[in-house]
Amino acid sequence: MACEPNRARLLCMLSLTFGFFIVEVVVSRITASLAMLSDSFHMLSDVIALVVALVAVRFAEKTQATNKNTFGWIRAEVMGALVNAVFLTALCFTIILEAIERFTEPHEIEKPRVVIGVGAAGLLVNLLGLCLFHGHAGGGHGHSHGGHSHGNKKNKRGKMSKFEKPPGSSSGEETNNLVGNHSTSPNGDSLEVQMNGNAPYEELENAHDSASQLNMRGVFLHVLGDALGSVIVVVNALIFTFVWQPCEAGAPCVNPCTNSHCTDHQHVNHTLLGLMEGDEPNATDPGGLGLTRAGPCWVLYLDPTLCIIMVCILLYTTYPLLKESALILLQTVPKQIDMHRLNERLRGVDGVLAVHELHIWQLAGSRIIATAHIKCHDPATYMDVAKRIKGFFHDEGIHATTIQPEFVTVNSESRGSLCELSCRTQCAPKLCCGAVDAGKQTAAGAEGRVAAATAAVPATTLEVISESQENANKDQMPNVQVVVRSEPQVMVTREVESSL
Amino acid sequence: MLPLSIKDDEYKPAKLNLLVKISGWFRSILADKTSRNLFFFLCLNLSFAFVELLYGIWSNSLGLISDSFHMFFDCTALLAGLAASVISRWRSNDSFSYGYVRAEVLAGFVNGLFLIFTAFFIFSEGVERALEPPDVHHERLLPVSIAGLLVNLVGIFVFQHGGHGHSHGGEGHGHSHSLFNGSVGHGHSHGGHGHSHGGHEHGHEHGHGHGHSHEEPHCHDEHSYSPAKGSSKQILQGVFLHIVADTLGSIGVIISAILMQKYDLMIADPICSMLISILIGVSVVPLLRESIGILMQRTPPSLDHALPECYQRVQQLQGVYNLQEPHFWTLCTDVYIGTLKLLVAPDADARWILSQTHNIFTQAGVRQLYVQIDIAAM
Repeated sequence: MACEPNRARLLCMLSLTFGFFIVEVVVSRITASLAMLSDSFHMLSDVIALVVALVAVRFAEKTQATNKNTFGWIRAEVMGALVNAVFLTALCFTIILEAIERFTEPHEIEKPRVVIGVGAAGLLVNLLGLCLFHGHAGGGHGHSHGGHSHGNKKNKRGKMSKFEKPPGSSSGEETNNLVGNHSTSPNGDSLEVQMNGNAPYEELENAHDSASQLNMRGVFLHVLGDALGSVIVVVNALIFTFVWQPCEAGAPCVNPCTNSHCTDHQHVNHTLLGLMEGDEPNATDPGGLGLTRAGPCWVLYLDPTLCIIMVCILLYTTYPLLKESALILLQTVPKQIDMHRLNERLRGVDGVLAVHELHIWQLAGSRIIATAHIKCHDPATYMDVAKRIKGFFHDEGIHATTIQPEFVTVNSESRGSLCELSCRTQCAPKLCCGAVDAGKQTAAGAEGRVAAATAAVPATTLEVISESQENANKDQMPNVQVVVRSEPQVMVTREVESSL
Repeated sequence: MLPLSIKDDEYKPAKLNLLVKISGWFRSILADKTSRNLFFFLCLNLSFAFVELLYGIWSNSLGLISDSFHMFFDCTALLAGLAASVISRWRSNDSFSYGYVRAEVLAGFVNGLFLIFTAFFIFSEGVERALEPPDVHHERLLPVSIAGLLVNLVGIFVFQHGGHGHSHGGEGHGHSHSLFNGSVGHGHSHGGHGHSHGGHEHGHEHGHGHGHSHEEPHCHDEHSYSPAKGSSKQILQGVFLHIVADTLGSIGVIISAILMQKYDLMIADPICSMLISILIGVSVVPLLRESIGILMQRTPPSLDHALPECYQRVQQLQGVYNLQEPHFWTLCTDVYIGTLKLLVAPDADARWILSQTHNIFTQAGVRQLYVQIDIAAM
């Protein structure tokens, strides 16, 4: 499967990074260098990011639907990407805070040679990781699908799914059902399936790839951040080694760069500095005082500056990933789909009177799901219309659709802009969206609902309702009392024809 | 187009537009009670952070300065919650066919992630400090932590009707940690990371996201038409829980400071930090689990039992052969969306089946249902 190399890479990188983390911890204990210890915690956060990505990949491989997760776990990839992006952002903030602290209180690096050694090793590990993940993540800017991944990925998944439902006819192929074979027996279905049979396999991998690309991008960015950090560590240590003149132990020395808060030293510093003011600034042995001055101060400020530059780079590269995964999770219409145009074209399909409650969203990768209410004339012609609609969506690259038909009860001038099956008026706050048209719709819908009511509904209501159904199109707010019924009990009677 | 007069609406200098936009946001924030409270609490936190920063600069205490920076960092989470509560009220448009209501779930999730990150760093810092205990200057931090406690008590009073029990004491965020902030001459590069601060309540926002997730994020209220109220109830609950936890943490810091002053137990501080970070991590888990469930399009847990029954009822309708591919998911709290396909006999009354199905599921609580009718040919 296409995901195998991903997993292998992740595992490999994970073990490398974890091993390096252990090494750093040990070295930090040996050399009693706190900087090393803190760097090791950075490595640990890297390990965590890799673990998150690995978990996401493992979960996303289970694309079969389960009882609780009817869509399968494919969204795990997007979540993994989001988690990694958020961690990266938090890490960036932390680094900024650290850098600011360093600006106010710079301190020298202890044991710079050890730091160089360990930093170089870390850089190697990170570069290796970059190579591992680069090929995969480099291709994926955004979701790399033109919205036309044909073949029915969901189709295939539906086939694999073990449902608790009786096998029934079509084992859940959506498009195939309606487009080809609703009229034939299950055998026909499987035939159709087999025709598309080859395509789904590749398409499935495609879908998987484009979804997992998001995840891998998150990992790549994390490793990139780490690599940059290692580069900074090494560069800083190198410059420190060669440029900085430290205070030698044993010789009286003053360090003008760090204003230590130790009260006992403050006097001395000020006095000494004051004495030294008159001499040349950079002399190592100003006058006859026998004092050495610790090396150029700007070296100490190099570290925080580089850190801030690195943070800027990281934030710049992380932001698109964050935005993309967040948008998917917010149930946005995928960017390649123009909702307005699609709506218009859908309305232009033969036999479609009206379209409402059209929702299109992205499950993950190139799996796009659409739902809509389609108003059409009557059930007899419905299946043809349904076929055409499914074909239309297929052309747009949306293969998982659920179309609810609504049949007009009154022909002729019915504009059909009102939903016949929307909820009652008091549901308005509970609907997902569009409080504006909810009012109109629920009014019309209330009648439609009530029209199928039991005898409990007074006859007058029925009359009013049927009447208002005819009037509804003329946008009158009829005297439809919102029938505040208690929970509808047994609905026995059939829908009332409005030809009353 | 040339403006006809200076008051012509079509001609507006860009700056005024920005002001108009900002004032629009303010109005939107102040319109809803939750966001109003959140906003004021955010302001309170921010001002406290500023005061601390100025005090730290004036008294030249690095610990206080870094602590105030951390408080600013925490305020971003509170800001995220505020932004989410405003954004989720925007109307749906072409790109967001469901509107923006999911923003709250996402904000809760992100806040939970930040909390975990914070816990991780407090833990790491606790470990570091345990291995190499720095000097402690606690005389300056006690008044600050007491001030923080007072701020939190204000918060409790304001967000009073929030809470029911959820792990308290979890959100101390290593207040004890802050005691070490005043330390000096400690070549520790991570100084003042994670959450160590002058023992006051930061991370209200953490709690905010945290509590935010206590139950499922409410998008709409049961009892009123205004969609915002339910969500505010939820956020308030979260903030309240968090503030309670922060208060307890503050008290813990004060106690720990007293312990250190009286009995000189230096090891108490890192141990406290580690304990607190573990508690934070554990308490965030329910929040994360819930938001992950919603974001992964999981079947709503509250419908887990009702749905099979509904399926059976639908399948018993006259003319229905089979029910296929049910998908039910949560858009945001209490808003469930479902799709399913019915295989029906050719002579069945499609309209009747449709309306019956809708009724059945409405009783279960799913108000947005898409039923696809597939007519089997005989």
